[in-house]
Amino acid sequence: MNRAGAFAVGAAAVFAVVLPFFLKPFGIYLISLWAVLTVAAIGLNLTLGYAGQVSLAQGAFVGIGAYVVALLTQAGLPYPLAFLAAGALCFAIGWLLGYPALRVQHHYLAFVTLAFTTLVFLFLRNEEWLTGGIYGINAIARPTLLGWSTGKALDFYFFCLGTLGVLALATWWMLRSPWGRAFVALRENPIRALSLGLDTRRYTLMAFAFGSSLGGLSGALFAPLVQFIEPSSFGLGRSFDLLLMVIVGGSGYFFGPFVGALISVLLPEWLRVTEGYYLIVYAAMVMVLMAFCPSGVIGLVERAAKAVTRWRSGKPALRPESTSP
Amino acid sequence: MASFIQLVVSGLATGAIYALVAVGFTLLWQTSQTINFAQGEFVMLPAFFILASMNAGAPFWLACLIGVALSILVLGVMFKFIVVDPMLKHGVLPLVISTIALAILLKETVKDFYSSQAQPFPALVPASDLHVFGAVVSTQSLAVLAVAIVTVVALHLALNKTRLGRMMQATAQNSTLAQILGVPVRRMVLYTFLVNAVLVAIASILISPIYLAKFTNGETLGMAAFLAAIIGGFNQVRGAILGGFILGVLDNLSAAYISSQYRGAFPLLILIVVILLRPQGLVGRVEERTV
Amino acid sequence: MTAVLEVSNLRKHFGGITAVDDVSFEVRDGEILGIIGPNGSGKSTLFNCVLGQLTPDGGQVHVDGKPTTGMRPCDINRLGVSRTFQLLQVFPQLSVRDNLILAGQEHQGSMHTRLVGRADAGLGPAADQMIEFFRLSHLAGEQAGLLSYGQQKLLDAAMAFMAGPRLVLLDEPAGGVNLTMLGHLRERLQAYHAERKATFVVIEHQMEFVMALCTRVLVLAQGRIIAEGTPQEIRRDPVVIEAYLGH
Repeated sequence: MNRAGAFAVGAAAVFAVVLPFFLKPFGIYLISLWAVLTVAAIGLNLTLGYAGQVSLAQGAFVGIGAYVVALLTQAGLPYPLAFLAAGALCFAIGWLLGYPALRVQHHYLAFVTLAFTTLVFLFLRNEEWLTGGIYGINAIARPTLLGWSTGKALDFYFFCLGTLGVLALATWWMLRSPWGRAFVALRENPIRALSLGLDTRRYTLMAFAFGSSLGGLSGALFAPLVQFIEPSSFGLGRSFDLLLMVIVGGSGYFFGPFVGALISVLLPEWLRVTEGYYLIVYAAMVMVLMAFCPSGVIGLVERAAKAVTRWRSGKPALRPESTSP
Repeated sequence: MASFIQLVVSGLATGAIYALVAVGFTLLWQTSQTINFAQGEFVMLPAFFILASMNAGAPFWLACLIGVALSILVLGVMFKFIVVDPMLKHGVLPLVISTIALAILLKETVKDFYSSQAQPFPALVPASDLHVFGAVVSTQSLAVLAVAIVTVVALHLALNKTRLGRMMQATAQNSTLAQILGVPVRRMVLYTFLVNAVLVAIASILISPIYLAKFTNGETLGMAAFLAAIIGGFNQVRGAILGGFILGVLDNLSAAYISSQYRGAFPLLILIVVILLRPQGLVGRVEERTV
Repeated sequence: MTAVLEVSNLRKHFGGITAVDDVSFEVRDGEILGIIGPNGSGKSTLFNCVLGQLTPDGGQVHVDGKPTTGMRPCDINRLGVSRTFQLLQVFPQLSVRDNLILAGQEHQGSMHTRLVGRADAGLGPAADQMIEFFRLSHLAGEQAGLLSYGQQKLLDAAMAFMAGPRLVLLDEPAGGVNLTMLGHLRERLQAYHAERKATFVVIEHQMEFVMALCTRVLVLAQGRIIAEGTPQEIRRDPVVIEAYLGH
């Protein structure tokens, strides 16, 4: 990362800490939701953006995580254990969901994961004895951690932001390790990767497992944030929404999900002047963005930054010499 | 036994509609690598074209013609030139995202500018029941089945027995080779978009009297089309037809005999099994992957 | 001399076509073996069967006496057998340096140590050495996809050497490369061979390249080996001339 980028990230972090002190409760709720969904989007970006495995299941993992936390904490388990359980269960299920990816790719994989999402939704809706069916689960408490009660909106926001920070750092570590390189190799050319000794099978499964577990952890934050969960929050729409976040932000860019989630959460508010039509505007914007810059908003910014550098140095487009060595 | 026959006939009727939608879906995939996540919304929309025409005073038959014409214009021509063509160079995924966004766009447009309520839609034939071998079969089911079968047969003949149809098939199967053989590939691709638009318009006319016209109809229909296409074989027109019928009957039977709560689950389980054991579908060709 | 690679009675069909028909040969330690033959004679299929990309229909493959038939490509690679492909196969979004580290990282430690260990898997210096050896130093940080075709071809070959392999199979390394670059590539391959005592198998169309590089040559036609010998013998063999020129 260059200096301008590091500065931008630092400024954004400071902004994220200071901002809530100037917001009303609903504003704090919105940026908490942003932090929570960003965790899930980071996970999907790992699976889809880096490792190239199309998944329409991330919404289902958010749901699984949310229900696990709601059920376990209401059964008396301390929140941190429930949080870890949500991550672990989604890790395991994500691992299993990775197996189809070893046999089929691209659109077929999209449909398998789409089917999985619908099956999870049906399970949540129909198994009333466990999940409360269409009535959902009510009165989910916010945790108290080492004497710090996160019951108030502001406290819970900082809990979400802190968790996002820790998980984002962990993901960043993984992506700069040889694993990150292996994921990109898997996306770009699995056959060549295999011939270089990469056990593509294990890396594919790991991409699914880790990406899904981030989805589960996002759900573990989501449940105490909204305090009431029902199956329809985790249907196909949620998965599509997360997919749009990753792509709109910029898939395969580390900060893409942060931007994508921000747009997805805040746009309805910004477009309030358009009243009921914000989804139409959002959809139209996505289509235009895809047509002109499929690498998303970060890709757009990167392109602009390059153009500025070029303009400053007064040189034509940067191309490597093709005659050397 | 009587109820079994009833279930099978009505299953075949909905299955025939699924087949129409799935055929259009596979044609688009084959000729232009378009996985149309808005295909369900494509079926939802023409019913509203027709209702709007009828509100403007047109009789039902004329409204249907207008509906098909508008469908060709909007879901065929405009979809190809405005949505698909600018995206093709970016590959499959951005186009998928774009069609997901298009699905939202169509759905919300109908909701906001027409109605969020389910609208009654005129049936092709008056509702009455026929008694066949002690089973009660509705004339509506039979009419739907008849129209869908005629459409499918006509399409099959057009694709296989005419020069134009064979050129379209050649384009679908190997566009590079078709180009070399002198097939006007670009025009053929456009035609498949038009064929798809007509198919979804017919499906819309057939299904809307049963489910009523509603902006959310596309969700289940789109899913059904994917499932039918994959179960039958993504790259074969007859696969999509077979998949549609299997899905319709299976859906009805499993809802009646196994569990109505998990009605939606059985086709999905079958989908997963098919993809894992026979990814090319029941009658599909294996898509060769070169090393 | 021991055989590094031993292929016996290898067969592969595609539908009714026999692409590899009962092929047996061995590769001796330290040699550069050339495999030539007309288009469609089964050379690449042979490589793919030997390296696990395709499962052969019959026959055996041994690496250093160890049977490898049916093993996955990644496991065969980790026995010290690496390859390049006929078509260019670098990772365009990764930098030149990252391409090389990637090519060696799976030979270091385990999945676990690769996750928690150093970002370059301890291969940074080795990658830089390899970059220097192939004279790509000025491009080390560039995205591989931005390199010229010839430069990518060099990188492709360098990646095959990164893990210090026992045996390297090169599938048309000279394909599509211009003459200046060709000389450079040949010279680097020879230098590597001399320096590391590596064993190569080279599939190539470019006759001059094969004759200058290889110590022994096999000729494949219609999935069978029809001749074997030194480059000079092969050049004079009437069977070979007929296979190339047709009947």
